[in-house]
Amino acid sequence: MAPTTRNTVDRMDKPSSYAASKNKRRKYNRDGDDGDRYQRERTPEFEDKLRDATTLYVGNLSFYTTEEQVHELFSKCGEIKRLVMGLDRFKKTPCGFCFVEYYSHEDALDCMKYIGGTKLDERVIRTDLDEGFSEGRQYGRGKSGGQVRDEYRDEYDPGRGGYGRALAEDLEE
Amino acid sequence: MSDYRRNGKRKRSREPRDRYLPVPRQLRENLLSIADSPLAVPAKQAQEIATLLGDNFHDEQIKNEFFDLLVRLILEQPFKIPFAAAVILYGNDSKPEITTEALNRAGERLQEAFNAGHWRDVKLLVRFLACLQRLFEGDGVIPLLDKLFDCAVDLQSANENDVVGLELVKIILLTLPYAMGYAETSIVPQALELLEKTEIVASMKLPIEELLESYTGSTDEKPVHYLSVIGLLQLQMRNEEAHGWEFAILPPFPKFISQQVDGQDAMVTTPTLHPFPSLDIVSPVNAGPNPLFPEAYFSLYADQEVETVPKTDDIAASLIRDTIVDTINILDFNRDAVATLLVNMDSYWHPETFIKRGMPFDKIRLGEVEEGKSTWKPEDMVLDGIFSQIFTLPNPERKIVYYHSVITETCKKAPGAVAPSLGRAIRFLFRNLDVMDLELVSRFLDWFAHHLSNFDYRWKWQEWVEDLVRSDLHPKKAFIIAAIDKEIRLSFGKRIKKTIDEEFRYLITEGKEKEVPDFKYADDRTPYAAEGALLQVQIRKKAPDAEIQETINVIHVKAADAGIKDVLIPSTDAFVTCICFIGSVSFSHLISIVDRCKERLLAIGQQSEPARRQIIASIVAYWKDQPGNAINIIDKLLNYTILTPISVIQWALADHLGAGEALAESWTYEMVAKTVAKVTNRVRQIVAARLQEGLTQEQIESIDETLIKEREGMRSYFKFIDDAASVVALGTNDAYIEKVTNGELNAENAAVIKAWGKRWQVVFQRKAHVEETVVGEQAVDARVKLLPTKMETDLKEETQNGNGAMEGLTIEEIE
Repeated sequence: MAPTTRNTVDRMDKPSSYAASKNKRRKYNRDGDDGDRYQRERTPEFEDKLRDATTLYVGNLSFYTTEEQVHELFSKCGEIKRLVMGLDRFKKTPCGFCFVEYYSHEDALDCMKYIGGTKLDERVIRTDLDEGFSEGRQYGRGKSGGQVRDEYRDEYDPGRGGYGRALAEDLEE
Repeated sequence: MSDYRRNGKRKRSREPRDRYLPVPRQLRENLLSIADSPLAVPAKQAQEIATLLGDNFHDEQIKNEFFDLLVRLILEQPFKIPFAAAVILYGNDSKPEITTEALNRAGERLQEAFNAGHWRDVKLLVRFLACLQRLFEGDGVIPLLDKLFDCAVDLQSANENDVVGLELVKIILLTLPYAMGYAETSIVPQALELLEKTEIVASMKLPIEELLESYTGSTDEKPVHYLSVIGLLQLQMRNEEAHGWEFAILPPFPKFISQQVDGQDAMVTTPTLHPFPSLDIVSPVNAGPNPLFPEAYFSLYADQEVETVPKTDDIAASLIRDTIVDTINILDFNRDAVATLLVNMDSYWHPETFIKRGMPFDKIRLGEVEEGKSTWKPEDMVLDGIFSQIFTLPNPERKIVYYHSVITETCKKAPGAVAPSLGRAIRFLFRNLDVMDLELVSRFLDWFAHHLSNFDYRWKWQEWVEDLVRSDLHPKKAFIIAAIDKEIRLSFGKRIKKTIDEEFRYLITEGKEKEVPDFKYADDRTPYAAEGALLQVQIRKKAPDAEIQETINVIHVKAADAGIKDVLIPSTDAFVTCICFIGSVSFSHLISIVDRCKERLLAIGQQSEPARRQIIASIVAYWKDQPGNAINIIDKLLNYTILTPISVIQWALADHLGAGEALAESWTYEMVAKTVAKVTNRVRQIVAARLQEGLTQEQIESIDETLIKEREGMRSYFKFIDDAASVVALGTNDAYIEKVTNGELNAENAAVIKAWGKRWQVVFQRKAHVEETVVGEQAVDARVKLLPTKMETDLKEETQNGNGAMEGLTIEEIE
């Protein structure tokens, strides 16, 4: 009988459900319990891609947070090989996310465990294992150039350009 | 605090106990949550689990899953070991097979852990067995402890600096309390016999321990004396004798819980006894994967006027600390779960162990606590444990930032209770800064700034206002300056200015608020202003190299006319200052310019060492108000080999040293420490490459050659630092003597500078010593000998791996 490999508490260094669903192209039952999602089997392809991942996607940054600030915090988990700021596709200004690449997988996992969900520039940031940066991914994919999440946000967020942009346009009309 | 949304996770609501759940899940959930609630009666819970397990014992799958989980729980949540044992204790009453199975599982796992040298796992599994002492035939766990001691003796006689033996003795001393506390028939004579044997080992002090002290300076200045963990344990056990071996903090498990069967108490039966699991112990033991160092006991709250944590001579101090620290280090993959366990920590000990959670310190201080009751604050106990890791020398098990995050989570879970205790910790640390080991000061600094960045930068700066009048050289003032700098790095000048009190704001100068520092060549009065300004335009416009060279030639001619010997120095200053200025937009801008100018930058150092150091000088000068940026740039230039480690060290500790004032600057320390870390990491990587299995003779020779070269380099850097620091410590450097003689340095500051020299010395002597134990000839030889000799046929395949690893190493270095 194979011993169970489950830890007695969940692990924080697993890819998020977002990364998983994006790669799997399979919809989860959203009613499911968060904790259980991690235990379901994923396609081997996805697991393979992230098995040695050294890159993290970092989200919920303020538009005003600089590379230097990201560097100061994230280098606490290891030397940073490359840092790519996410930019507005049209304006080429920071739009609230970035990719941090470490030299080792270990450092990337530690970052998930120790830095994800803590604050940078007084905002709780989100980290996710990423298969690696490729040209083009530094740009926002939203209609107006930024991140999709900032298009229809109805909460006012001064760190991310106020109200959602599409929403703001709709309001103006 | 409301902006922390628990990562978007919903808290699982606790449903009523009687809801329908499949048996395996019931068993899992009940075992995992045992004793979590302060309202629960763990003995009852344990018994319920035992009953449910017993009723389903015929189901192989249920049985398997349960025991897998049991072992996992022992290894991952040490707080719950006594409770896990209680399940077995009660299970044994009705179904002795439960015990048999538990012992088999634990025994197997223990054997594995022992073979692999996983000493913590050994400790925890043996603890579980010790809690079952009353179920064993004969002396139970005692013969195993005797064997462990024999192993320790073997190690000690083979090597007087051995630390693995100390680890074994630690396991013995941490096991005895559980065995004695839960024993049915007294094992006091056996325990005393063991304690007599451990005495010598526990009272030894290894030479390296001198370098592992948290506080330096003369003894009367130290807030706490050095206490070795095993020395302390030995003493605490001796003291426990006076308390009649009570071990009062262990959670009690009444032998029989009154069970009403048909209105009558259940029959009291004698438990079935079992043989202690047999273990194959081969000496000398496997030392384990990680180098071990003697452990010091660090506390911020112990032995003070108000007893908010056990006194250091009380066995409770070690038992609780050990469990807290293990929990933290084991569960690093879920800091949220760690914080929950820590906040609940008091539930896992005897109910009388701690005072109510969140009891204000002042109430305890003023004696408003019921006479004879415990005054130990669970929050203090927890924070003491976390800080003990941040302040572990040479290094704790996990990255320091992990412990930061545990403090943050704990604060988020119980802000009202934890924050005041944290404030007292900070005060204690700040009060004793002057004599604290410098590396630890730097960890305190990092934590402090990072912690505040998670809590709106709130701190009562007013408390430190009196230290503002001190000289910048004073450790306390230096700390304040550095703390504000670190806060700015995580945020920005204007923001931090708003969070500090008026009196402190002058420390955030105009320069610190500027995003783009001034470009000195924009000022006509700067020498070579015209050339510098032109150079800037040329680099920005990606002018051809010949044009840039032309401008540089002009500087060279002018400099030669002005009688400057090394004309490369002013031209390097101009070139590098321009790069910094153009690259001030962002770090990636800087990197792309450096990429473009790489050849020229590399050539500078190849032509002249002083010019190479000028690169550093120019970067630091440009970023003088934001030294963090300078440090990052220098770090990158080391990767490009534009700078060399020795150039950074020489710049910091010779060019920049002055009369020794530089040693008081936190950023100078950071720069040197970071550079040294880069070197030591590289040497460790080479050693790791050497220790791969199946290398060819050719590869071995090539790696050995690199290793010898790099190791010698490393030693020479340590030597340089030690010499430079020792000159400051002795007050024999020229600039120092001059400044003392002409009165520029008053007696107080002169003494402070000397102390800085000493503090630097201790840190880097320790680092040098630690590296020797990992990458020194002796250490490497010993580990090479342990490599299995491979069969010829396997070599081919392995060869490629070996190559890959070496390549990887070189690539990383160049990048």
